[in-house]
Amino acid sequence: MTLPIIDLNQPRSYPPRVSAFTQRFWGALQDGRFETTRCADCERITFPPKPFCPHCWSKNLTWVPLRGRGRLYSQTVVHAAPAVFRAEAPYRVGIVDLDEGLRIATRILCDAPPALDAPVEIVVLRYVDGPLFAARPL
Amino acid sequence: MSNTVTILGAAALKVGKWQGSADAPTQALEHETLANLVVDAMRDAGVDRREINSLAFSLPRPYTQQKYFGTFMANYLRLPCDGSVSEIMGNGMTAGLAFEAASNDIRLGRSKVALALGVNFETAISAAEHMMSSMRTTGDVDFHVPFGFTPISWYAMDAARYIHEFKSSREELASVAVKNRMHASLNPIAQFRKPITLEEVLAQPPIVEPLGLYEVPPRSDGAVCLVLAEEAVARASRRPYVRVKGRGFFHEGAHQINEVPNDMIALIAAQTAGRAAFAEAGVAPDDIDLAEIYAPCTIVEVLVSEALGFAPRGHGARMAREGETTLGGRIPICTSGGLQSRGHPAYVTPFYSFVEIMDQLRHRAGERQVADARLAVTSAELGNYNAALVHVLEAVH
Repeated sequence: MTLPIIDLNQPRSYPPRVSAFTQRFWGALQDGRFETTRCADCERITFPPKPFCPHCWSKNLTWVPLRGRGRLYSQTVVHAAPAVFRAEAPYRVGIVDLDEGLRIATRILCDAPPALDAPVEIVVLRYVDGPLFAARPL
Repeated sequence: MSNTVTILGAAALKVGKWQGSADAPTQALEHETLANLVVDAMRDAGVDRREINSLAFSLPRPYTQQKYFGTFMANYLRLPCDGSVSEIMGNGMTAGLAFEAASNDIRLGRSKVALALGVNFETAISAAEHMMSSMRTTGDVDFHVPFGFTPISWYAMDAARYIHEFKSSREELASVAVKNRMHASLNPIAQFRKPITLEEVLAQPPIVEPLGLYEVPPRSDGAVCLVLAEEAVARASRRPYVRVKGRGFFHEGAHQINEVPNDMIALIAAQTAGRAAFAEAGVAPDDIDLAEIYAPCTIVEVLVSEALGFAPRGHGARMAREGETTLGGRIPICTSGGLQSRGHPAYVTPFYSFVEIMDQLRHRAGERQVADARLAVTSAELGNYNAALVHVLEAVH
């Protein structure tokens, strides 16, 4: 399944580094797919994707798709921002519990304060220099 | 059988803005500032400097020009040491871990007297520039930082969750800031001492919602020297001292958030470290007379007061609003004024907690003295209390 894609005509304020390992994640995200790694031994998933399993330390991994659905665990609006984010402030960030049982932190897209525990979906923010992901209320 | 650690002397710089801009005609220099405090702390302890075996420094901020600061200070003080000389780093827990390094040399019998000391100068650097570094300490550089999280944004999300789960309110949480300012008004070394009202706290500009300017820590410079000694030295001094009665540490193996969803605001590290410290000390939370908690934001003080057992789960904010954590209340918390009002020179902040406990347990806290204070607790943390270091301290007169 692919995620909704929002194209943005600007570069990312603080681009993530890409490793030989995580380039699969960022490449998939650019195409609207949200993926992570699952342990082929203990079968648990992890996020961010890792070259080993943090639960059993196996290096036997597979890539699996994530549905991109979850619930908003918490959120805030950052007014006092680091220098590189100053032009974006104030902006909303939050913590999302994905349906697959993973907790992530990301940008939250919505103007009014969102209700905690309410369902959200993950979207792709496609900047001119590469992608990020975000969550928005369903 | 390890030796018992005591704190016998202390000296601290008034928290505030000391660091000048690079083009100022004169500079406040870290080594001069700290050397003055070393002399003062040793006079307070009544110990000869030749008895010092170890120096455990908190790492200075990267803005401090003098690098290898610890070894430079050993030279500046002309202080040969046969225990150890080290500079310790661990984010907000830095000074707590430096205290541990000094303590461990005493526990192991490598030192009779060990200094835990350091300086944190940072106020000449703007908050927006400072956060370019600090945002990379409290999150995954590739999977959190690109979204714009700042160190205190995590605490703000604790606050939002706490209000949601326990039907609390920003007003309840903000009462902690009012209480801490009242305490700071009685503390000569606090950064902000003018009393404030709840209305004033609520009227401040938002920093990380729902927290406003007075509910988050200021930028601060500070410096502290603590004199730690094995108990025989402390006893021979014939002065009042503080005994380390219990200690607990726990890192939950997560950074900011746990990728396996958990109860983020239970502060499992503070719970676990607290239980270990109380068990070693052989006391219970009810026995404690006061606590000096590492709490950058109001919400953190509330959560730690619950995690350490001073308040039932979900009742910490109400307890603060009702005055139970105020001087004269059931369990006074942050009698120094806490991080919001005493100030937050982060790498030495846990040292300031020990300074306050030294004042209180030696009954030298003046107008903010907790009557008959005998047992106290300190905490230090890193991340979003992903790790906690808790000490139980006892007065010896």
